[in-house]
Amino acid sequence: MLWRTLTLALALALAGCSVSTPGDPVRVRLAITTSTYNSGLLQELLPPFEESTGIQVQVIAVGTGQALALGERGEVDLVLVHARRREDAFIEQGHGLDRRDMMWNDFVILGPPGDPAGLRGGEDAVAAMKRLKDEGARFVSRGDDSGTHIRELALWERAGGVPAGEAFYLEAGQGMGNCLTLADEKEAYILSDRGTYLAFASRLDLEILVDGDPALLNPYGVMLVNPRRYPHVQAAAARKLLDYFTSAEAQRRIAAFRVAGETLFYPAAEMRP
Amino acid sequence: MSFLGEGLAEAARLLWAGDARTYHAVLVSLLCTTTAVSLAALLAVPYGAWLGLYRSTPFRRLQVFSLRVAMSVPTVVLGLLVFAFLSRRGLLGGLDLLYTRTAIIAGEFMLAFPLLGSLVYGATARLEPRVVETALTLGARRGQALVKVLGEVRPALVAAMLAAFGRCVTELGIALTVGGNLPLHTRTLATAAQLELSRGRFAEALAPGILLLVLAAGATMLASWPVRGDRL
Repeated sequence: MLWRTLTLALALALAGCSVSTPGDPVRVRLAITTSTYNSGLLQELLPPFEESTGIQVQVIAVGTGQALALGERGEVDLVLVHARRREDAFIEQGHGLDRRDMMWNDFVILGPPGDPAGLRGGEDAVAAMKRLKDEGARFVSRGDDSGTHIRELALWERAGGVPAGEAFYLEAGQGMGNCLTLADEKEAYILSDRGTYLAFASRLDLEILVDGDPALLNPYGVMLVNPRRYPHVQAAAARKLLDYFTSAEAQRRIAAFRVAGETLFYPAAEMRP
Repeated sequence: MSFLGEGLAEAARLLWAGDARTYHAVLVSLLCTTTAVSLAALLAVPYGAWLGLYRSTPFRRLQVFSLRVAMSVPTVVLGLLVFAFLSRRGLLGGLDLLYTRTAIIAGEFMLAFPLLGSLVYGATARLEPRVVETALTLGARRGQALVKVLGEVRPALVAAMLAAFGRCVTELGIALTVGGNLPLHTRTLATAAQLELSRGRFAEALAPGILLLVLAAGATMLASWPVRGDRL
């Protein structure tokens, strides 16, 4: 009887620790990719949500690989990334729930204005990559397991294999912005998401040489970290944020978001097949 | 805690397997750091000692103040400074030195110089002025007196060199900005750890961290060898 009372008391005490007091705002942790973070979109989307719900959103900006790893360890409540196959694996392995399309934009192949490999005006990304390989044109790879890097590898595979180890293939192992600077300095070709390129365009000589290929579509997905696996996850608040991201209001804000007059993201509903 | 344990085990396994990229990063870290610290020491040690010993040096206080402020410049800013000079659009753009080990050395030199200068100043300024005066009255030139005094503060000198080594070998901002983190070329242990972390491969990120510790321990042992008996 004494033991049972003690156990019950202990259980109650522990439960008390994890329940926040009414005065404290609920905090939700969102892991997102650096490219999304750097665009400034969240500063547009989050304040109205925080104001109307009283939920505080803590944004942790890391690479896609690290964002998913943080989700796998239950360190965050939601994950927003762009690597469809990795997202599906995340859900299949039971780490996450309820993946939804949030928005999309596209990748572009950039190169120096001189365009030594002659890619300009092309619309076939795989053909362009093949050409880069045949010409041995200098190419900067992210090399960091980011969503962009994963897409780049997929394109190389379709073009007959990743030219890893070749002298013209520079693996930078850095974020998009640093890699753009590196490609610009080295007069190399590079695959970039359009948003980061636009943010950096004024400081770069690099130009868009190939775009518009459906193989370059870049969908962003948002999902919940599985509360059944990680009971400390703020499930209710996280779901509210997920619902908000896919709500008509947030989608309208995404469509209206501009950087230097350019649209960076398109609402999920307008996604081309 | 279990994560840390698993990470250490995984790190040990990776090191044992002898990954070429990891071991190359060790060489790059060692090469850049020792070169930068040695070059910086050649200039900063006599400079710091001069400021510490000869109190009539013009603008002495201002120079000491600048050294101390420069000690706190973030490595990212140092990296940016070097970048501004070596960029294709920069003053020295024609040298094609950006994204080379030389560029990393230049940045780490700027990191080590104020640290060494300021620590050596601190060690020598505390000495009795009589030590120098005696040497000078015995007919030593100012430079010779300086060398004599540096011998007196050897333990502090060794500690300053180790501090500079530690700061340079672990720094990230310079190596990323002007090194470019290119594998088998400019990837250092610190940038390797950062990359693995951004990939979400935590155990792999620990491996370079452990190697950094080994390097630091090795440098300390090596440095304390000739001054055994002295207190560091």
